[in-house]
Amino acid sequence: MSDTDAVVFIVDDDKDIRTSLTRALRTRGFTVQTFDSAQAFLDAYDGEQPGCVVLDFGMPMMSGLDLQEHLNAKRCPLAIIFITGHGGVPESVLAMKAGAVDFLEKPFRQAVLVDLVETALDLSREKYEARERSRGIKLRFDRLTAREEEIVARMISNPAEVSSKEIGNYLGISPRTVDHHRARILEKLEVSSVVELIDLASKLKEATPGDSPNR
Amino acid sequence: MRNSLGLLLAIGLAGLQFVAVLAVVFSSYVTSERALLDHARSLLSDVGTNTIAHSTGFLRPARAAAELSARLAQTDVIASDRPELLEKLLFQQLQLAPQFAGLFYGSEGGDFVYVMRSDGPGPFRSKFIRVQDGVRSTELIWRNDAFEVVERRMDPEDTYDPRVRPWYQRARDQRTTIWTDPYIFFTSQQPGITLASPVMSGVDGIRGIVGVDIEISDISDFLAQLEIGSHGKALIIHDNGDVIAHPNKDLLKTTDEDGTLRFANIRTFDDPIAQAAFSQLTQDGKVPVARETLSQFEYNGETYVSVVMPVMSEKLPWTIAAYAPENDFTSEIKLNRRMNIWIAALVAATTGLAGLALAQFIYKPVRAFAVRSALISQGELDPEEPLPKTYQELENANAMLMEQIAARRETELEYGQTFALSSRGMAQVAPESGQFIRVNDRFCEITGYSPSELLGMTFTDICYREEAPFLLLDGQHGAETSEINHEMRCRRKDGETIWTAVNAIMIHNQEGKALHVVLTLDDITLTKRKEEKISQLNKDLSNLSRDNTMGQMAAGLAHELNQPLTAIAQNADTALLMIKGVPEADPELRQVLDEIEEQSLRAGEIIRALRAFIRKDEGTRTDFDFVELLDQTKRLVIAEAHEVGAEIATELGHLPQANANRVQVAQVLVNLLRNAIEAVAENPGKDRLVTVHARQRGPQILVCVTDNGPGVDPDLTLFTQFETTKPGGMGLGLSICRAIVQENGGQLWHEPAETGGARFCFTLDASADA
Repeated sequence: MSDTDAVVFIVDDDKDIRTSLTRALRTRGFTVQTFDSAQAFLDAYDGEQPGCVVLDFGMPMMSGLDLQEHLNAKRCPLAIIFITGHGGVPESVLAMKAGAVDFLEKPFRQAVLVDLVETALDLSREKYEARERSRGIKLRFDRLTAREEEIVARMISNPAEVSSKEIGNYLGISPRTVDHHRARILEKLEVSSVVELIDLASKLKEATPGDSPNR
Repeated sequence: MRNSLGLLLAIGLAGLQFVAVLAVVFSSYVTSERALLDHARSLLSDVGTNTIAHSTGFLRPARAAAELSARLAQTDVIASDRPELLEKLLFQQLQLAPQFAGLFYGSEGGDFVYVMRSDGPGPFRSKFIRVQDGVRSTELIWRNDAFEVVERRMDPEDTYDPRVRPWYQRARDQRTTIWTDPYIFFTSQQPGITLASPVMSGVDGIRGIVGVDIEISDISDFLAQLEIGSHGKALIIHDNGDVIAHPNKDLLKTTDEDGTLRFANIRTFDDPIAQAAFSQLTQDGKVPVARETLSQFEYNGETYVSVVMPVMSEKLPWTIAAYAPENDFTSEIKLNRRMNIWIAALVAATTGLAGLALAQFIYKPVRAFAVRSALISQGELDPEEPLPKTYQELENANAMLMEQIAARRETELEYGQTFALSSRGMAQVAPESGQFIRVNDRFCEITGYSPSELLGMTFTDICYREEAPFLLLDGQHGAETSEINHEMRCRRKDGETIWTAVNAIMIHNQEGKALHVVLTLDDITLTKRKEEKISQLNKDLSNLSRDNTMGQMAAGLAHELNQPLTAIAQNADTALLMIKGVPEADPELRQVLDEIEEQSLRAGEIIRALRAFIRKDEGTRTDFDFVELLDQTKRLVIAEAHEVGAEIATELGHLPQANANRVQVAQVLVNLLRNAIEAVAENPGKDRLVTVHARQRGPQILVCVTDNGPGVDPDLTLFTQFETTKPGGMGLGLSICRAIVQENGGQLWHEPAETGGARFCFTLDASADA
């Protein structure tokens, strides 16, 4: 029901909350780590570990929102569930806009939290895999020479004109040379056709920093 | 009004001169008058004395002759039986004294020898009466100066008997020499007196009487010769009132009804002046004068002086009286005196005029000085103009005056510049009318009027009438309130109402007369508004404290309760999960845990509902200037800070507008500042410093209140309600603050400060417009 590789991080300055949530989630088989402040979590987290953050909204110094911002900026493979003692609509809107899984008002039913944690962990894993995938694609693209990159960029930007002749004209080289490059490119990118190549490129683009990390 | 120097000089030099001359004239007038009268009296007195001496001298030979004749007769030198010898003796005596009218001898026997001056055939006539054997014969013999007989004849008709005559009888009775009263001699019809001396025989016997007739008209001649002034007269009055001597002899005699001649009495005397002067002397029948009496009387409108001498002797009871018109003595002097008065008047007028001229001369430089001073004071003359020729004293005075003027001008200039350049509104106000006399630029700036507009106005025109200073400015009160400080509202020309601080001082001169009012005006509208804002904030805060502390407490409580409730619910659910796989578990335990979970969730619902209810009462969030709010908040706690000697410093970055509930933020600040002040108050002898930092941090404003107090005890759990280090505290402050900040979208936390003290920070949303 849960993967051992995904971790539930509980960040709350209230010790009772941390204890009870840790117990509840561990009993249900989740891997749980607790932190008493946002800063403590930031210091400990490596940025690679996928997981779910059960985050207290109102903490001194660095608030839950601040932490969310930090994590988003680093494109961490984490999903956030806010819990708040006095949840207000404006705050929850901010949190949800910033990609939070949900905004729970204390006290809440455990079942609700567990559902959300599972959803969040799925999301986190998806994020993680997507990131890993895009990393693989990127590695493949990294193998290309400058000329090959040039040809790929032309193919992606102008998917209607992908014949060797058209590209050769565009780049001012012979279609034969283009043909030669095209074979090398398909081999390096581990795709069998130009259609697959464009699909792969769009996947990479999706995971490239600067784009919205939307679900 | 002080006397002018010119007037004083004129009075001094002319008036005193005049008075002095008058005094001299008056004094000499009085003294000369008295001297004149004294002179007149002594003159009259001398006349009396002279007359007495003359009369006595005139009569003395008669007495001597009579006594000599009597002695000779006594010693038988003259025997009555030898009348020829007696005749010759008497003849010799008669020749000796011209005043003698005749000498005679009458014997007890009736014989009589009489030698007298005569107008007849010879200058002398002798009369012999012889009685022999009862037969008497009378023979008359006229002789010349050589005693030679000129004619001789008998007079048979004669019946004369000496022994019946009054002089004979008185002399015989008194056995001593007697004087008769004056009478008119029968023969010569001249006034005269007779002196008779008895010729004794033995011790007591009388042989006969020797007599001398003396004509006293000579005394009148003497009186006529006397000069008593021009019109004075002397006369001799017998004690029976008969006037026996007078310069006018004709007046002496009067004829009785029977044809006999007698003296005129003073009461009927034909010299009316003498009659007026002396008639009352004889009212008692005797002239009573015992001593020299001087008197003054009026007759016919003219003043006379008179003197009455005492009677010459008992035997000659005659009184010398003299009178003279006063003018005889004083006219010359009076004339002289009139002249003197004229001269004196002339001198007085001349010296007076000279005095006036002198006064004018002396006063002229003084007046010129006065005029110059007046011109300088009116600013029509430059004080540097050289002083016209004048006195040393005035030059000194001028030098001092010029110094004073220079000093005063400098002061005035300084005052004027102070007045004109003052950063405060200043005006001078007339005490009676209340009108502005002078205003400075700042005054115009504050009131919005131009100087020329203000000069016709009073303070009442620009201010609300009910304010106190008008009592002073209207001059409707005593000097007891000569200064007023007041904050009041004024109307600017544009109709705007401004708050001003007015200081009005009544300036008095040394006599206590009100000169003007100096008015100082400050525009305190901004300060006033600030104060109003602070006071409003204070009011809001206390309202918030009073009305919302429970609400805040509930809100804080709700928040804090949610934490354990969450834990309870989680734990109950976990416990349920745990006993799921335990078949022997009591089903009731499952129910208990179910209920625990449900009840904690229900508690959460209740709290949510409560919070929703409280949230309705919260103020709305607005944009506001945090720096201004901090400034106002600081002023609310500055008194507490000063009380413990703490200083509140601020370090502010550039801040956008904040967006929050302003009053709530103020409450948080006040709470944090108070905590900090209380913390630093525990510092023993260290600086007690509270610092407020504020800076922008992203879309928020970060505010930190740092103190250098002892710091927060690490064992203490902050932000927990009902947990406190303060003896009287409820432990709500920080938790409420945190609740407030959180509800305004911020965070509030504590961190240790570098100084070892405490630092509390919170965040506020910046305005979206910023």
